Amino acid sequence: MKRRNQDIVYRWEDNPLISICDVGFKCSDIHNAGAVSFKDEILLLVTIEHLSGRRCIHLARPCADGHYQVEHDPFLGPSTDSEYKQHESHGVQDARVTFLEGKYYIVYNSLGDHGFRLALASTEDFHSVERMGLISEPDTKAGVLFPSKIKGRYARLERPGCGSSIWITYSDDLVYWGSSELVICPREGFWDANRIGVGPPPIGIDQGWLVLYYGAKDTSAGPIYRIGAVILDRQEPTHVIGRTNIPILSPRRNYERIGDVPNVVFPTGAVIDSNGYLDIFYGASDSCICVGTTTLEEIIDNCVESEQEY
Amino acid sequence: MIDTAVQGRDLLHRWEGNPAITVEDLPFRANTVFNGTPVVTEDAVYLLLRVEGQQGYSFFALARSSDGLHFAVDETPVMLPAKEGRFALYEEKGIEDPRITIIDGICYVMYTAVGSCGPRIALAKTHDYVNYERIALVSEPGNKDGILFPRKINGRYARLDRPIGLGKGSIWISYSPDLVNWGDSEVVITPRDGYWDDFRVGASVTPIETDEGWLEIYHGVRMTRPGRAGPIYRIGIAVLDLDDPSKVIRRSDQPILSPREDYERIGDVGNVCFACGAVVSDNGEVKIYYGAADTSICIATCTLDQILQDGF
Repeated sequence: MKRRNQDIVYRWEDNPLISICDVGFKCSDIHNAGAVSFKDEILLLVTIEHLSGRRCIHLARPCADGHYQVEHDPFLGPSTDSEYKQHESHGVQDARVTFLEGKYYIVYNSLGDHGFRLALASTEDFHSVERMGLISEPDTKAGVLFPSKIKGRYARLERPGCGSSIWITYSDDLVYWGSSELVICPREGFWDANRIGVGPPPIGIDQGWLVLYYGAKDTSAGPIYRIGAVILDRQEPTHVIGRTNIPILSPRRNYERIGDVPNVVFPTGAVIDSNGYLDIFYGASDSCICVGTTTLEEIIDNCVESEQEY
Repeated sequence: MIDTAVQGRDLLHRWEGNPAITVEDLPFRANTVFNGTPVVTEDAVYLLLRVEGQQGYSFFALARSSDGLHFAVDETPVMLPAKEGRFALYEEKGIEDPRITIIDGICYVMYTAVGSCGPRIALAKTHDYVNYERIALVSEPGNKDGILFPRKINGRYARLDRPIGLGKGSIWISYSPDLVNWGDSEVVITPRDGYWDDFRVGASVTPIETDEGWLEIYHGVRMTRPGRAGPIYRIGIAVLDLDDPSKVIRRSDQPILSPREDYERIGDVGNVCFACGAVVSDNGEVKIYYGAADTSICIATCTLDQILQDGF
């Protein structure tokens, strides 16, 4: 008998959730969805690469059939304000949404003449959005806010340009940031050997913070991006409580294997749905949005060094 | 007295006693000594030196001088990479390129902490130049050449630094209310295609306040054939707006010092002139302390007027 699912995450049978055929305007590709539970719906903030090559963040709302409709006008596009202009000239992408102190905060990546920088915006209604500033120097990517303060300070996870690792940085006011520390590194010989970065916002669990992350392993045909998980201490997030030594999801289906960047599953949103399952929204092959589901328990059980040899 | 006659092809005049400090002047065994930052005390000039030990990692030693030219190096290093505490992980591979800035009478040292995840900028302070108290790691990895401005600007501390974006190393500015948390980063000076500084630029000397603006003496890099001949590090100048130092008022087309002498051409990293500090005397004389070929400390001189008039 064949084992039907190799992965800890179960794919939705109607994947992809959104492909460019579902978008009501011409574009190059769609990938990486920030996800948030808002008024009984799960809203997505997706990255669309327009035909020009510039990237914008669009809001997508659920339809009756479970698929999503992408709004025509960008929710967040490259700003032409003087403060942002040269830093967003190539686009904005990879929104990660965190509900914190009654507001929805969006950490996204600005891409401009000088590389990637993290930027922060906020919204209360997903109609209007307020830009709050560029919050990192280049070349920092994959930033996300924790959903609560840690020891009285705001905290974010991120991937600075150097070292290919996940770091944590703190702030009293979301404007000035400091006290950066290394959290986890790539592991030689593993599926996450070459680069790692944080996925959706950390999820508070009894054991600490559950953090889904992406890990890349370089091959002669290019990298393979998979999804893993780590549990960090609630008060001292640089203290690792457990880390999966296997991925929870790997590219296997055609929609994950074939696309602008093949062999990529890249999570930026995760929401606990009304049935208590964890829905993970991920970009596949930089060309569509997919969803997979599992339970927190199953991920937590795997956040240990497996003793299996294979 | 400084000879201000036009000499050779560079605006700066090399001191005839160069190199001022070599590894032979150290009272302990080491690989090289280079990149020293000066501070003027009541009756002396001290240089905080980057020394590369035989093991391969760098640390700091102190040199003392009465004339700012002839130095004697202390018997033991004054600051070593942290072995414990939260700095240890980030200083595993050494501490490099200190830059001293005095703000409100307090002597701060910004330096590069080098760990296995790359270089980051760190901040310490000292009251006697011998004992150093670490304050904070102030940047993320992939950043170096951090230098504090000598006063707050519009109520905030400010620093220049050099992150790398899209493979391009530029000079940026960041601000802080407390020297620990930093933000509002902006790009200031970028490499210029086709120029002597077309590969990389970084801040070198603590900004010098002049009537025209902040004089920043920076380093610019041109890459020849990577892995063959390697980079050429030269010294250049720019003037930044006093109130908004992210605005460049003037930037010279030309370097003010290029590697030409044997001690600048030959060493662990040949073809490097890398300034780490300057002393401006009351009469306007400027002594610039620079590392040569990553192998010695040298001194070049000029006057502030001449730099501002003839350097651009």
